Amino acid sequence: MGSTRDEIDDKATGDDELIYTYNRELFYHFDKENGYTQKVDYQNPCNQVIIKQSWDAAEERLEEVKQMVILGKSSPIAYYMEKILMEVPMLAAYMEIPKWRVRRHLKSKVFKKLKPEVLAKYASIFEIPADQLTNQDYLK
Amino acid sequence: METKTIINYTHRQAGHCESGATSNLFKFNGLEISEPMAFGIGNGLYFSYIPFLKIQFAPMISFRNLPNTVFKRSTAYLGIDATVVKKIKDPEDAMNLLDRNLENGIPTGCQVGVFQLTFFPPEYRMHYNMHNLVVFGKDGNMYHVSDTVMELPQLITREDLLRVRYAKGAFAPQGKMYWINHAISKPIDLKPAIIKGIKKTVNEMIGIPFPLIGVKGLRWMARDLKKWPKKHGDNKASFYLGQILRMAEDFGTGGAGFRYIYGAFLKEAGELFDNHQELLEASDMMGKTANKWREFTYMGARNCKNRSKPEENYGTLSEKLLEIAAGEEKVYQKLKKIKF
Repeated sequence: MGSTRDEIDDKATGDDELIYTYNRELFYHFDKENGYTQKVDYQNPCNQVIIKQSWDAAEERLEEVKQMVILGKSSPIAYYMEKILMEVPMLAAYMEIPKWRVRRHLKSKVFKKLKPEVLAKYASIFEIPADQLTNQDYLK
Repeated sequence: METKTIINYTHRQAGHCESGATSNLFKFNGLEISEPMAFGIGNGLYFSYIPFLKIQFAPMISFRNLPNTVFKRSTAYLGIDATVVKKIKDPEDAMNLLDRNLENGIPTGCQVGVFQLTFFPPEYRMHYNMHNLVVFGKDGNMYHVSDTVMELPQLITREDLLRVRYAKGAFAPQGKMYWINHAISKPIDLKPAIIKGIKKTVNEMIGIPFPLIGVKGLRWMARDLKKWPKKHGDNKASFYLGQILRMAEDFGTGGAGFRYIYGAFLKEAGELFDNHQELLEASDMMGKTANKWREFTYMGARNCKNRSKPEENYGTLSEKLLEIAAGEEKVYQKLKKIKF
């Protein structure tokens, strides 16, 4: 690759605009003339694309899980777990139960038999009212 | 009980959360050490690639050392009296200990998870548990914290702070906290610490006989990267690549940025050793490699934009990584040969 830094910068800023402008961060730079410098700025557009990709992927996964729940193959716990970007080991740690139990709870058959206390604990982790787990309006 | 204690602590933004916090804590206690200096002495630079461990659905890649390494090693190498409490079982105890420190005028570093960190930029709020911040004040239920990612000091409620200090998952913070015990009164010679720090980093990057750590790990990842589209399909390959890039560029500086910080450290060190020629040359080389990292992320970002039709060939990206690995290796080889 024979491209110089300037060319790359042009490509990066040419057609993209900033997606995230919540906070400016400190970045280090290096070039021959000035040596090492620091600059406070927003994340550059190129990196913002990368960050966005990761969120898009999360959304896609959520959509997939949602379809599974509608088809009755997965339980709403699977949906909310995905919604807060968790995986089984992490959710099990928050629930303080073994992973295999959480895995069972992801099946809709097992979910229907869950006790209200267990549901309430899940709901508190997902930060939703307890009855929202059984009420499936969100799927519509 | 209404209490108000706010320590006169200066918030400074930094490129890397832990070395920023460490440097700010040193400065508070009277030792003028820049962020790159803390980063270099405390071995912030690192690389490991663990393809069989999946974090957030992608292979685990780490550009940084284990949490708390920078603080622990830099205080140890500099001979500074500091305390690290690794794990506190009861969250209430952890908060009480923090309160006691604040009453005694000790700003205290805490490891936290960012997912529920209320003031954190929303786009970064994924389950990432290796973040660091310094608590320096309390006003009733509100805590004053200095987070080096943010432009300004922030406020957080006791409940929210407790929650992020006990976030669960990989590298869970478990209430970890650290602080420097006394103000540093006697002058400290940085040179022996710098030598120790460089030796350790060189060893970690090229000396460990395990193929997934340091430069070897980087090469392994480059070779794997080439195979991803065939093995996993274009979509997943692009997602994996995005994950590498996110690790390389996230949170202010990320992994690629760490190369700049390390280069800046080598420059400072070189100046301290009476313009040590080889150190200054190594610093230049590091800066150039860091720029190559940035070129790599720009190339990669184009692939992430259009996931199913990659613009850049994965082979080219892999070659770029191998080039970076070779460049970095030269820096470490050079540092290894220096006789102080």
